[in-house]
Amino acid sequence: MSSPLEQFEIKPIIPIEVGGVDISFTNSSLFMVLAVVVSTLVLGLCLRKRTLVPNAAQSVPEGLYEFVANLLRENVGVEGLRYFPFIFTMFLFLAFGNMLGLFPYAFTFTSHLTAVGSLSIIALLLNVVVGIRRKKLGWLRTFLPRGIPWPMAPLIVPIEMISFLSKPFSLTVRLVANMTVGHIMLKIIAGFIVSLGVLGIVPLLFDGIIICFEIFISLLQAFIYTVLSCIYLGDAIHEH
Amino acid sequence: MSEGFPQKRKSKFRELCDMPQLDFSVFPSQLFWLVVCFFIMLFVMSRFIIPRTAEMINLRKAKIDGDLEKAAEIKRQVEQALEKYNQALADANSRAAVSLQRTKDELNETISRRQAELTAKLTAEIESGEKKIAASRDKAMQKVEEAAAELAVDVLKKLGFSGIKSKDAANALKALKKDKK
Repeated sequence: MSSPLEQFEIKPIIPIEVGGVDISFTNSSLFMVLAVVVSTLVLGLCLRKRTLVPNAAQSVPEGLYEFVANLLRENVGVEGLRYFPFIFTMFLFLAFGNMLGLFPYAFTFTSHLTAVGSLSIIALLLNVVVGIRRKKLGWLRTFLPRGIPWPMAPLIVPIEMISFLSKPFSLTVRLVANMTVGHIMLKIIAGFIVSLGVLGIVPLLFDGIIICFEIFISLLQAFIYTVLSCIYLGDAIHEH
Repeated sequence: MSEGFPQKRKSKFRELCDMPQLDFSVFPSQLFWLVVCFFIMLFVMSRFIIPRTAEMINLRKAKIDGDLEKAAEIKRQVEQALEKYNQALADANSRAAVSLQRTKDELNETISRRQAELTAKLTAEIESGEKKIAASRDKAMQKVEEAAAELAVDVLKKLGFSGIKSKDAANALKALKKDKK
């Protein structure tokens, strides 16, 4: 029986090397591209026929739109709507990445620390840029909240810095761990289907249930990642 | 990856560290493709998908708001019309009351005028009747006096006093009547 970790193996499809750095197009990259293409196609097709009274297909992107807009309004405020495209894209990218990974033989790039970490780094950079643009030098207050006496600074500043940098890390680990565990579980239980022979129907049913559960988890985790990103963005915009 | 390590040194911990998810050698490739994919998707979403979705949502919102406004406008118009109607009704009522009063006044006036006229006429007629009665009584009295005078002349003639004119007799009777009074 092959290792349940085998499915996470990254294999280069088109080896590319630029300046000694390996940026090969891998199976992970392929599924990132697929997430973009599939999400765009799904939403694009849903929006093909638009009517004032929404039809069933149209209500999918509209529901997503309202959902993300409400998320931003609640967690960041009305000014947060400026970053709507970013958050909207993030949610869809993750949701589709998670869901595509559930197909047999598919690859889940959201189970990779490096992939999700890259996204978290983009989000962190956005937070920093937004914070500096809105508060100028006052952004440094993030690391030393108002009302803290100066002698405490050497203690507080490192703590705040760690807390600031741990946000993307916690985001990443949460998503990666969830995706990894789900897929390992599916794989291990799937292994029993063959080895148990006729009784394999039990793990098969169980796998079916887990798949349904995983679909829910993949949406939920994309949602949690998005909500937390919104909250961090809110922190970057408002004083705390 | 694991090739570099002798098989016997591969502990459970080592195995965990070999998880492909934690393999940082693919980081540049992952970062590069993720950035590329994410920003292409961001572009596609913000240029095509989001505006097309928002357009309909905003149109719908505008339409609903417009409909609500229109409904409010119609309601306002209805209220105005109702007010106008009530006003017109009140006006008509007051006008009717005024006109009724005027008619009543006119009738009263006419009645009283007619009554006055009738009274005047009747009074006049009564007066003229009284006058006529008085005139005919005077005439009758005069005739009686004349007859009395003639009778007196005739009586005197029979008694032998001729030559007395009826005029003198009348004067004498008049004087007599005056004395009686």
